[in-house]
Amino acid sequence: MYGRSASQLLKEQASCESGQLTVFNNEAFDRVIKECDEHHLQLESLFRKLMEQNLDVRTTTNGEHLGAFIHHHSLLRNKRCLMAYMQNRAEIVRSLRWQLGPVLPEEIKAKMSYSEEVYFVDHSNAIESYMSEMDVDLTADMVPPKSPSVQVKVLDDIGDVCLGDHSISLTKDSLHSLRRTDAEPFISQVSYHPFGAMRDDAAFRLTLLFVLFLGSNGRTFGLMPEKTIDG
Amino acid sequence: MSEPWSEEAEEDASSLAGTTDVELIKRAWRNEKAAPEILQFEGALVLRVREQIQLLEETVEESTENGSNDLVVSLYQMDLDRTLYLLRSYLRIRLQKIEKYMIHISKTNLWNRLSEQEKKFTKRCTAILEKLLEQSVLARLPYGYESFLKQSISSEEDDMVPEPQLDTFVFCKAKDAVGAFQLDDSGDEIVDLVADDLYVIRYKSIKGLVEAGQIDLV
Repeated sequence: MYGRSASQLLKEQASCESGQLTVFNNEAFDRVIKECDEHHLQLESLFRKLMEQNLDVRTTTNGEHLGAFIHHHSLLRNKRCLMAYMQNRAEIVRSLRWQLGPVLPEEIKAKMSYSEEVYFVDHSNAIESYMSEMDVDLTADMVPPKSPSVQVKVLDDIGDVCLGDHSISLTKDSLHSLRRTDAEPFISQVSYHPFGAMRDDAAFRLTLLFVLFLGSNGRTFGLMPEKTIDG
Repeated sequence: MSEPWSEEAEEDASSLAGTTDVELIKRAWRNEKAAPEILQFEGALVLRVREQIQLLEETVEESTENGSNDLVVSLYQMDLDRTLYLLRSYLRIRLQKIEKYMIHISKTNLWNRLSEQEKKFTKRCTAILEKLLEQSVLARLPYGYESFLKQSISSEEDDMVPEPQLDTFVFCKAKDAVGAFQLDDSGDEIVDLVADDLYVIRYKSIKGLVEAGQIDLV
């Protein structure tokens, strides 16, 4: 049936949790493209027939004309589906940049097509050049700050870190109270979860505690829920 | 300064933090957050807020050096953090809206609402999105169907461009009484907008009031 593959492609996308990237469905994607080519071939041959009959394409409504009409609209529908598929994916890819920073973990990269990986890097660069022009770091403070300092537990040996006018030694499993702005670069690359969870501060902190993630430079932190510290 | 936290200094700083600019950016931020389409960029306001942030930073630094009360310093730090958050979040929401509707924005007069840097960002984003779609879809489609903006060569206008939903409902509050306000063109629905009352209305109907600053989104 015309247009079935394309709708399956989108159904697959719609059935998965929003904000999560699915594996790029190369096979279905190629099938739809192939279908488009077939429609086009049919269209051309129908047009040729119309031309042979020496009829005006715009005014006649015979079998060939209606056939061409159906092929044309199936093609348009397929195109809309493909574009929607790509646009939705591109939107998720962009949101990943805001949530995870400029470096993506391998397991997410594996779900992208090559062009999408390039797109992520290009887009990330665009955001960065905006930030440097404006001289502001927009990736900090994704959640409204509640207190100026945060309790952190170091998950991996980082060594001595210079924070403003003093330096502290961040060894594994040690607990510190740091200024939020100082700690944030270490926490940003912690986990991959939908944006909904990030809005809720409590859920955010818990996720940060439970999901351990090794950053690209081995810089890793987890936030402690305040209760544990007090107790 | 011998007495760093004299009453005078405190008053100075608190008047700094309490100026209307912070309130204004909060308002701009809230409106931007709730509106489905991008609003006018508050360039002058952003500049003023940044200056204030810098001043606050200096105050915090100074008082840390002077070794003044930790509690006072942390209060200032908190205030600074919150203002910074407002500014960042404001700019961020705008960028995210641009990401979503970049083509629509650059084709309509919404373009004039962007700052210079945002315009640059939009151009760059559009170019790379176009590249992505070109590589994965458009270049593989038959002749006549490969346009980025149109469904096919026979479409008269650009009908492949995602647009914001202006029909969505928004919460809003009027600052001053607007009076009887017509919600649709036919004039069937008229609402009396009273100051400080909360309303849920389609964004499209009150778009003009939001742009004129007569009504705030919440």
